[in-house]
Amino acid sequence: MQQIAPVEEVEAVASHTSRFQPARVLQTVFREDSFFLILSVFIGIFSGLAVVCFRYAIDWCQLYLLGSGAEPSHSRLLLAPALTGILIAIIVIHFFPASRGSGVNQTKAALYIYNGFIPLKTAVGKFICSALAIGSGQSLGPEDPSLQIGASLASALGRKLHLSRERMRLIAPVGAAAGLAAAFNAPISAVLFVIEEVIGRWTAGILGSVVLSAVSSVVVMRWFLGSESMFRIPPVELKSPSELIAYSILGIIGGLASVVFASGIQELRPRFRRMSPWTQYLQPAVAGLVIGVIAMLGAPQVMGAGYVYIDQAMHGQFTWQFLAILALLKIVATLVSFVSGTPGGMFAPTLFIGAMLGAAVGGVEHMLYPHLSSSPGTFALVGMGVLFAGFLRVPMTSVFMVLEVSGNYTIIVPVMIANTFAYVISRGLMPTPIFDVLSRQDGMELPSMEEQREESILRVEDAMQPPSDPILNPEDSVEKAERLAEQTSRHVLLVRLRPSGWSTVGIEELKKLVAEGKGTQPIESVLTGDPVPSLHPDLPLDTALRYVDRWPVVPVVNRADLSEVEGLITERDVLERYRDFGGE
Amino acid sequence: MTTESRRLDLPPYLRREPVTLALLTGAAVVFFLAVSALSGIHDAQRESLAQRWAGRGVADLKLQHYEPAVVDFRTALLYARDSSAYQLSLAQALMGLHRNDEAEAYLLNLWEREPENGLVSLELARIAASKGQTDRALRYYHNAIYATWTGSQDEARHQARLELINYLLRIDAKPQADAELIDLAASFGRNSQENLLLGQLFLRAGDNRRALGAFQDALKRHRHNPTALAGAGTAAYQLALYPDAQRYLEKAHAADPGNSEVSAELKMAQAVLRWDPFRPQVPQAERNRMALDAFAAVGKRLKSCLSNPQVQPLQQSWSKLKPQMNEGLLRRQPDLVDTAMNLAFQIEKQTANTCGPQSDTDRALLLISNLHEEN
Repeated sequence: MQQIAPVEEVEAVASHTSRFQPARVLQTVFREDSFFLILSVFIGIFSGLAVVCFRYAIDWCQLYLLGSGAEPSHSRLLLAPALTGILIAIIVIHFFPASRGSGVNQTKAALYIYNGFIPLKTAVGKFICSALAIGSGQSLGPEDPSLQIGASLASALGRKLHLSRERMRLIAPVGAAAGLAAAFNAPISAVLFVIEEVIGRWTAGILGSVVLSAVSSVVVMRWFLGSESMFRIPPVELKSPSELIAYSILGIIGGLASVVFASGIQELRPRFRRMSPWTQYLQPAVAGLVIGVIAMLGAPQVMGAGYVYIDQAMHGQFTWQFLAILALLKIVATLVSFVSGTPGGMFAPTLFIGAMLGAAVGGVEHMLYPHLSSSPGTFALVGMGVLFAGFLRVPMTSVFMVLEVSGNYTIIVPVMIANTFAYVISRGLMPTPIFDVLSRQDGMELPSMEEQREESILRVEDAMQPPSDPILNPEDSVEKAERLAEQTSRHVLLVRLRPSGWSTVGIEELKKLVAEGKGTQPIESVLTGDPVPSLHPDLPLDTALRYVDRWPVVPVVNRADLSEVEGLITERDVLERYRDFGGE
Repeated sequence: MTTESRRLDLPPYLRREPVTLALLTGAAVVFFLAVSALSGIHDAQRESLAQRWAGRGVADLKLQHYEPAVVDFRTALLYARDSSAYQLSLAQALMGLHRNDEAEAYLLNLWEREPENGLVSLELARIAASKGQTDRALRYYHNAIYATWTGSQDEARHQARLELINYLLRIDAKPQADAELIDLAASFGRNSQENLLLGQLFLRAGDNRRALGAFQDALKRHRHNPTALAGAGTAAYQLALYPDAQRYLEKAHAADPGNSEVSAELKMAQAVLRWDPFRPQVPQAERNRMALDAFAAVGKRLKSCLSNPQVQPLQQSWSKLKPQMNEGLLRRQPDLVDTAMNLAFQIEKQTANTCGPQSDTDRALLLISNLHEEN
């Protein structure tokens, strides 16, 4: 005891002074929300490392399946994707059935259905099968699998650490952002994509975690793979405002191409899935054969992710006719690859198609107006954003993706114009976004971020009634208040408080006060209830629900002049408005 | 209270999370090391592939097989995307195929990364020059001249400046070319070959005095060098130093009789000296004879050009002077030589552009006229 006493003394002193208190510091650091931020960094690191391994795996598959040359032999072009397709089918069907489908939707499903659960096995399957598929030349990209690998790793980590259900739900999108950021080498676009398409809402906690994971994964990826962007960006410029017409045309063409591409998936995917089970073994092989034939006939550019060829298109290395053909062939190749159930993503093919279409439109413009047009690289860059906006239906991400990849803000106007055209056309012709189409085909009804964005919400102003009843001043007598109350239809009157605030008084209460002989007293002196909160006309009607059951009437006041009552709202008003809205 | 009991007072997460964090850090380090090892294997393999394909590309480029060289370097760049050397070689192969736009894209990318790279700037200058983009070409040439070069910096810079000078001469920007040549001459001309080159370029730039100096420097090292003699002769001829020109050109002609340019200039220099009555130390009788011959020659020139109304007054002046043009009168009135020669010069100038091809005598008289006008 004698040895312990001094320690107790020190502790006692420490707890009453401002000296360093390790326990308190630890409490701050390891509060669950702070710890989740730290965990996000680790998720980013692990995802970044996994994506680097994934990229190596794709490279090795490509090297051993298609050879080291830039122009593989015809036999390899035909056999590699077809035979690898059979192998992929066997692996997927027998070992990793969940590795098919969209990683974005599986992450959303984890968030909204499975409490953040994504089996690690899915990531393993996605890794192996996607590497084989992309490496053998299937027209798919590594971004979606990377996203899912990140989400899956994060989910596994969250399970191991027994995070709360709320954190578990968020952890998959955090991993997804890390995976996508590493795959794209574009942290801003990855963060925006996950917020825009997966989570659908902005809060400081979510944003902090997503940003931390994305940034740390990109740092890791750049450590191993270098910091260069995916493409060598040519000098980009907008030479003349009249060029915006060409960019608008690009937006229209891109929007139409997006609809064709998405409609193809919408139509063909269910048909392929309905075919006899034994055909599932052959579908990836047939897709590979089709792509091999396209490559053999002179368009090997459609194979794999195709970043090298996007780069070449940006630097004017193809004629506009060939670029247009490549865009068309890539749509065909990606359609057959994706609907055959071969694991892999559609981000890279989307960028490819957009770049080719953009460069083709740029080429045509250059042919018609050589002095007006900027480089085809500018059009290719804008084209990538156009397809992103039109096909994936992520308008914000599409703009920032182009800016981040190009590192140039001078093309923001063309990007915004072209993307808007593509988005509006795509949305007009095909109301359901591709991710929602895929999830419904998979039998899930995941929340549609686009529908949520576009959903019209009811506001307080939609339910409030005009302030027709008199409003009592605090100095008014109880008798006067009673007289006024008799003239109105309501059982309650609103009282303006000094210097600010509101209260209510009921008719029965007023009558009782008059009967008690308190009729001459100012109304302010007899108020007993809590002050009434006020609302503003633009607030969502949901907000009013929190108050209208406690107070019989709630004032709706002007934001610029809090003493000006714009209307009154009661529980009945709110419920009636909701009932009418449901009928609409 | 024991230390153990105090530790247990911490909330459960404070006992768990630090351990978790330590474990995560450990796992990250292990994973990182494993990926580093994998990365080493991957990078080594890619480097080897890149070198193999680049080796083929270099061989193809040497043989000027540009098409396969492009494929080789493109493949090499698949495995070493950031390699400046491969990108530069690919750009050169593309330039060999006259696919300058593609080459320029690679070079611009390289230039942004390595603005100090002389070869990249030089290639960009060549492309700009081939596209007629003079301002860009000049900017890149100057970048190349002041850039960093591997190997001999001075030699590379001299070559870049020489290329710029040739480009300027091609586009007829002689003053700029001359300025560049003066800069070049400050550190060039260390041997007769360089002196010869300088002299020839100064000649093309119209800076005959410096050209003559450069050729004379070359002759100091090799006094019988026919190229230097011819160059010095031409420079002296252009400077109207006809005695020097004759001296150099005679030696050059003796060394290389087949050089028609030298022969023509020599012939003209000799004609000037033969026809010029105002040369110092020419005896009076000789001067009179020269004046008579010149007067007769311009008379012939006038006869061939009588249809031209502009020469009518000159014809009248010639006819009026003709009776006085004899040796006796010239001996008595030496001023007549000046009068006759002035008229001859006027006639040659007037008829030079309007009366068809000149004879050697006419050209010589015109040169003499220019010579004495300058003096």
